[in-house]
Amino acid sequence: MVGKIVRNQKLNDKYYLLEIKCEEFVREAKVGQFIMINTRHQDYTNDPLLRRPLGVANIEGDKFSLVYMIVGKGTRLLSECQKDTEISFSAPLGSTFTLLRKKRTALLAGGIGIAPVYWLAKTLKEAGCVVDLYYGGRTMDDVVLLEELKETTDHLVVTTDDGSAGIKGLVTDPFGENVNSYDQIYACGPKGMLRAVSEIAMGADVPVEVSLDERMACGLGACLGCIIYVKEGDETLQKRCCVEGPVFDGSKVVWDTVCK
Amino acid sequence: MSDILKTTFCGVKFKNPVITASGTFGYGLEYVKHIDISRLGGISVKGISLTEVPGNPMPRIMETTSGMLNAIGLQNVGVERFLKEKLPALRKHDTKIIVNFWGKTLEEYVKVAEILDDADVDMLEMNISCPNIKEGGIAFGTDPEMTYKVTNEVKKVLKNKPLMVKLSPNVTNIRVFAKACEDAGADAISAINTLLGMAINIHTRKPYISNVTGGLSGPAIKPVAVRMVHETFSSVKIPIMGIGGITNWQDVVEFALVGAGAVQVGTANFVDPQIPINIIDDLENHLKVNNIASFSELVGKADFSK
Ligand SMILES: Cc1cc2nc3c(=O)[nH]c(=O)nc-3n(C[C@H](O)[C@H](O)[C@H](O)COP(=O)(O)OP(=O)(O)OC[C@H]3O[C@@H](n4cnc5c(N)ncnc54)[C@H](O)[C@@H]3O)c2cc1C
Ligand SMILES: Cc1cc2nc3c(=O)[nH]c(=O)nc-3n(C[C@H](O)[C@H](O)[C@H](O)COP(=O)(O)O)c2cc1C
Ligand code: FES
Repeated sequence: MVGKIVRNQKLNDKYYLLEIKCEEFVREAKVGQFIMINTRHQDYTNDPLLRRPLGVANIEGDKFSLVYMIVGKGTRLLSECQKDTEISFSAPLGSTFTLLRKKRTALLAGGIGIAPVYWLAKTLKEAGCVVDLYYGGRTMDDVVLLEELKETTDHLVVTTDDGSAGIKGLVTDPFGENVNSYDQIYACGPKGMLRAVSEIAMGADVPVEVSLDERMACGLGACLGCIIYVKEGDETLQKRCCVEGPVFDGSKVVWDTVCK
Repeated sequence: MSDILKTTFCGVKFKNPVITASGTFGYGLEYVKHIDISRLGGISVKGISLTEVPGNPMPRIMETTSGMLNAIGLQNVGVERFLKEKLPALRKHDTKIIVNFWGKTLEEYVKVAEILDDADVDMLEMNISCPNIKEGGIAFGTDPEMTYKVTNEVKKVLKNKPLMVKLSPNVTNIRVFAKACEDAGADAISAINTLLGMAINIHTRKPYISNVTGGLSGPAIKPVAVRMVHETFSSVKIPIMGIGGITNWQDVVEFALVGAGAVQVGTANFVDPQIPINIIDDLENHLKVNNIASFSELVGKADFSK
């Protein structure tokens, strides 16, 4: 698919919001899915070679948004893309979050994990759910879009490791105290956090869905580079993060193989 | 579409000389949502073995400058499940199917080949060059006597299908291996597989790939591949399928000039699934514009005169 950049807005030194117009995509995309985006906006270079996986952070009208953090070459190049540039991607890819109506839900986001959670919060709210968002980052720069998030959540709890915004500490602490009041948990963020969230949820017998990151070459299920180990009954199965994921049942992921 | 790209390679009639490379195109079906796979000359499927193989631990891939490392470890569903679950659906698409296969032992190579010889596929590609597993594969591809032996034994059981042997670039002199294949009765050679490589994360000081080493592929390896296809072409008479770093029609012409009768596109399928289709269209256009009657006219036409 090809889309046109509507805006590529700097949120702070690390985070950007990229809005792309593409009717075909917005018709098909479901919450939790991702795209493989070509970060080279010229085709005369081979570097970076592979496309980058990014979660879909929002859809409005014929436009969709990505929220991304600058980590390396690909995301740096993306941040240099100008308005009206045409950008190509394969999409929509991967599994989706299970959508519920009128339930009490807790959403957890760690750092850039906010991307898919942003759209999820909006969608659940529209479906009449109670949406509590626990959003943690290292410092105040790692928690973005707070104004927008206030509108799509019932409670927004912010934590930072250094206390520069919200409560000082880990996002799992305030969540852990309230876990029993929810029907469903959703989370996206660093693997260690997702493991902790899943363990808390399992302890309270609440279903939990996590969105996992793995390095990806194809994003289409062909290369087998993105395997996540999942328990089903007595068996450990290999699932492709790009096809059967990125959203997995957090109680079934074999965390020892994911967090190394 | 015109006939200008039609290519006969070891008796198999391909609609064009552009084939997708093993391990980069799954079982073909993964790409159906993204491109019209019936446009392709053919598909070489993920390396199949006698029984299902789980592959290597994660992480298995890492991008490097103009290339990537992989140590997937030949994960595959095994020959029985491939024939039952994948092949029928793949066969619905009008394209040639090459089955890439391998074994842990000589006996396994022979057994898989025997099974595939009776299956509804067009050609076999024997992988003796995967650098990512300890047993089998590479052991057969880095010792000319073993290369001869496995090719010869497999050839003995094949009654219906042409056999192409895929060579490793991780040898000093590829000519010796090409010759061993030809002498043992191989119908064709494909070259090259990935180059053994490695990358270290300087912050954690650990290898990026759990297997420590991985196979390098992509544009970074193209000059090595072109040289090796040239060396192979100048030492054997059987046809050669050129592989390594192809991303556009110019690359295909370059491989043809040094002797590739057809080509495989690998890592480029990850870069953009549309690439093989673009190559086919652009190649056809190139031949037409330059009044070249067919792709085969280019094969081996590089000019080495000084
Ligand atoms: C399903 C999925 C959804 C994602 N959604 C988002 C999102 O919405 N916003 C966002 O900012 N990031 C997201 N990421 C992470 C993002 O893909 C990486 O940050 C990005 O690929 C880094 O590329 P780079 O060239 O800037 O970094 P480099 O470090 O130069 O990249 C080198 C290689 O490593 C890979 N890589 C590096 N970090 C990661 C990572 N965390 N996960 C997977 N691959 C990685 C790259 O793709 C590339 O192949 C997501 C990852 C996955 C798998
Ligand atoms: C992820 C990956 C998996 C591969 N798996 C196989 C395989 O199963 N069998 C095989 O013969 N070659 C395999 N290869 C090698 C490719 O078929 C090809 O020879 C190599 O990548 C060089 O071509 P390229 O530069 O166009 O990718 C694999 C390559 C990659 C990148
Ligand atoms: S990224 Fe290739 S199979 Fe998932």
